[in-house]
Amino acid sequence: MKTKRLVTNYSQRRTIHHSASYHDNLITYRNPWVVAWWTAALPGFGHLMLCKYITGFILFAWEVFVNVNAGINAAIVYSMIGDFEAAKEILDPNWLFFYAGVYVFAIWDSYRRTVDLNRLYVLAYRENSPLAPFKISSLEINYLNKRKPWVTVIFSAFAPGLGYLYINRLPSAFFTIIWWVIIVYFSRFNEAVLYTMIGDYSGAIAILDPQWLLFIPSLYVFSMFDSYSYTVELNKVFEKEQANYLQKFYQCNPSETLTNLNEF
Amino acid sequence: MHIIATFEYSTSLELALSELENTGIPKKKITAFPLDKRVEPGKLFDSMHQSDGISLFDLAAVFGAIFMLLGTIYGYVLKLGPILWGLFGLIFGLLLGFLIDYTIYKRKLGKKIKQNKKEKISEVVIIIECKDHELEKTEKILWSHAALGLCKVSTPRNSGSSFRI
Repeated sequence: MKTKRLVTNYSQRRTIHHSASYHDNLITYRNPWVVAWWTAALPGFGHLMLCKYITGFILFAWEVFVNVNAGINAAIVYSMIGDFEAAKEILDPNWLFFYAGVYVFAIWDSYRRTVDLNRLYVLAYRENSPLAPFKISSLEINYLNKRKPWVTVIFSAFAPGLGYLYINRLPSAFFTIIWWVIIVYFSRFNEAVLYTMIGDYSGAIAILDPQWLLFIPSLYVFSMFDSYSYTVELNKVFEKEQANYLQKFYQCNPSETLTNLNEF
Repeated sequence: MHIIATFEYSTSLELALSELENTGIPKKKITAFPLDKRVEPGKLFDSMHQSDGISLFDLAAVFGAIFMLLGTIYGYVLKLGPILWGLFGLIFGLLLGFLIDYTIYKRKLGKKIKQNKKEKISEVVIIIECKDHELEKTEKILWSHAALGLCKVSTPRNSGSSFRI
């Protein structure tokens, strides 16, 4: 029986890109400190940057679950504005002690994996395994194309997740959209925006839940940054695939063509 | 008769090639030279800082998130509240990160950043061998599929070549 493999030829061992009709997965060069920083902002983000989606989704859900139960975000806000009594009051030690171990592991793991993947990227890039430019399945279509990175940023700024839809990264898109709705709903962010816009600043403070509000900066900026950088990376994959194609099919005798040209 | 044209990597390039083949120019009369871009494995670890501009957003995003977070937190004790201070923090952080990255790379690369942004760069060179009567049609197809530049190299009896870029 023929088994389905990522890379069918045994001489091909690594590839930089794998596409499905709903997603492009790829490895690329990353600065390990940037990846580690995003994990520190919200565990899970670093792994999402590395296209390790299952790890990323689980870590992110873990982070939200434990953080909310332990009251860590609210405690951060109270500590930073100097209200240490309120911070102690809101923290739940029963949940808090779960936090540190996984948090530090996630940062370390994303850093170390980035270093690994950077080295593997060099090997995979040089190996130059065939890349798939087009995928169609019964419900979706995906193709490599040149896309504009700043368009993704603008759409992500309107609503986190739209940038991912533009570059056809559906798991990221729905992950971001769903979490954005949950976090905005529980933080009462939209109502606070309304109060702020009509000038009732104390009304905004009263209604906001700091525990949920503190997830928003990281999620908002990360969705812009991540969709932007993958637009750039997918453009590079597109160019590489096209270059490979042209070399294979449109260079039947390149040196002779150039010599003919020379004779005229 | 030869026609030399340059393109960016794009879907319209492939459309042009397939249209040329449809009009009867065989594949082996078309030669493509995809040019290597700066992103080569050997130079990989420096090349992040070049044309794609990705690293100009790295620090901006990091600082954007940090200052948005700080703005949100201290918005609780400042006059305008967490939403507006979060927004100010975001804009400040994005600009600060971008400016720091930009100054560093500008110092490193000199004028390269500016040039890369302004000009469309030729990425593929196409050489087509065709007969005189096919010339006009071929030229039209190339131009209508976003060729960046085009050069006709005529046969010796016309003596010389005509350039159009």
